[in-house]
Amino acid sequence: MEIRDRILVIEDDKSIRNFLRAALEANHYDVMMANTGSEAYSLITSQCPDLVILDLGLPDMDGMKILKNVREWSSMPIVVVSARSHEKDKVAALDMGADDYITKPFGTSELLARIRTAIRHTRTVAATPGLGQSGTFVSGSFVIDYDKHRVFVEGKDANLTQNEFKIVALLGKYAGRVMTYDYIMKEIWGPNMKNDNQILRVNMANIRRKIEKNPAQPKYIFTEAGVGYRMVEAD
Amino acid sequence: MKEKKKKNAIWKNCLVTTAIFAIAAGFCFLLQRVASTDTHVPLIFVLAVLFISRYTEGYVYGIVASLLAVIGVNFVFTYPYFKFDFTITGYPLTFLAMLAVAISISALTTQIKKQEQIKLEIEKEKMRGNLLRAVSHDIRTPLTSIVGSASAVIDNYDVLPDDKRLELTKDIKEEAQWLIRIVENLLSVTRINESSANISTNLEVVEEIADSAVQKFLKRFPDAEVKVNIPDEVLLVPMDGILIEQVIVNLLENSVLHGETNDITVNITNDEQAVFFAVEDNGRGIRPDVLPCMFEGGMHTGESGGPDTRRNMGIGLSVCFSIVKAHKGNMEAENRKEGGARVRFSLPLQKEQNYGN
Repeated sequence: MEIRDRILVIEDDKSIRNFLRAALEANHYDVMMANTGSEAYSLITSQCPDLVILDLGLPDMDGMKILKNVREWSSMPIVVVSARSHEKDKVAALDMGADDYITKPFGTSELLARIRTAIRHTRTVAATPGLGQSGTFVSGSFVIDYDKHRVFVEGKDANLTQNEFKIVALLGKYAGRVMTYDYIMKEIWGPNMKNDNQILRVNMANIRRKIEKNPAQPKYIFTEAGVGYRMVEAD
Repeated sequence: MKEKKKKNAIWKNCLVTTAIFAIAAGFCFLLQRVASTDTHVPLIFVLAVLFISRYTEGYVYGIVASLLAVIGVNFVFTYPYFKFDFTITGYPLTFLAMLAVAISISALTTQIKKQEQIKLEIEKEKMRGNLLRAVSHDIRTPLTSIVGSASAVIDNYDVLPDDKRLELTKDIKEEAQWLIRIVENLLSVTRINESSANISTNLEVVEEIADSAVQKFLKRFPDAEVKVNIPDEVLLVPMDGILIEQVIVNLLENSVLHGETNDITVNITNDEQAVFFAVEDNGRGIRPDVLPCMFEGGMHTGESGGPDTRRNMGIGLSVCFSIVKAHKGNMEAENRKEGGARVRFSLPLQKEQNYGN
């Protein structure tokens, strides 16, 4: 028998649980359901699922609390589902250690794509701890050469500056995942550059002018409005 | 913050009061040289009190001003000059009358101002009511269809052929997506109202906003083709990114739903004062009879009948319009000479600058 990935869905709305179960089981996942935060917590600790889908608005506790608790001892992939469309909540969840977020209302295909990315990503990072620091990242005709500190597009050197390369390298390391503005700022410019992400935005605009054919319709680095940036996944 | 504002208001009101008194006094001094009697003096000061009550807030300044005027006129401008004298025949009565007139004028003007405010509130409330009515109308249609299709599938599950079942479920999905669009627009409206007239703006890179809008749009309309042209320089514009994204998504959706085309171009240009977003398509264009009132909400197209009134475009556009207005920008629509529609809006580059009207 094949080994299926086990997904824990923490969600209090019955009809959403129903359709999630149907969609996930149809796509060959084992599904566990939790109604409340306390139930979820005991399932997480006893069953150790491969991925957790967490609704932030639960009847008995704030989903953020579960996120924080789990992150103290495990790096299992957690995809946050939230009805709050304010970007602040997404950023807070990502900074708290969520792997990805998806905003209600969402389609199943979108959710399944996020699940695949999150599971795959946790596995590759776990398998190769130093990933991204050496070797190359390839997606189509876009290549990051970590050893030479160069980015090539269609074989040509994109001539990125030092900081621009650092940003691209960081996004490449976590390709497929959203990196919040704050996180990138801290990684590149250090912890003292607080709250003003304008310098990052301008750098990104310049990077796009160097690597994208049309900077307004990027193919390699995507914008998550109000949250951060996401790089396309490697081939 | 609030206390500071209050202090500022008090300063402003005091300044207005003194300025008007100074003008009135100066006028009296001038007239004193020409005229032989003092009878004009009280009248001029009553006028001054009227202006003061009109241009300050609340009753206090007007009443204080009228008292000051009574004392000042007696003291300075009437015989005996620079001395109080209430004993002259008729004087006490004259000044009592003046006090009464001044007080009632200031009370009246304040009342009128308050009434104007109430009128404005009512107007706002009316607009909100209209929007709500239009929205409920727009929501009822897809809801009916969802309930109908769903119960058709459930009740006739064994009888219905597979393709029919699929068709009905597809309808349910489509209608639900339409509802999502409406709700998102409503959320945008509450986002504007949240902080009254002012929206909270951040500096955003225009191409990022345009791109995320296009991505969001393409998720719903994968067949559409959108081209985005941007200026060479990196433009940082103060805006509420989520709201402007909503505006662009709405305009793109209108091109597909009402222009019935899949070929859309977004042109972004700028001059020194503002950045301009133009959404252009090669579709059916905008009906000339809708053109003048299309930003005013769904009330106009709602009852007129016709094949495409079920999907009311008024709400999306009126939301766009109020978002752009809240950014102190402008919005206009026209039919292109080459065919199709062009909707253009501008955002000022500087926060303080008041672009357009």
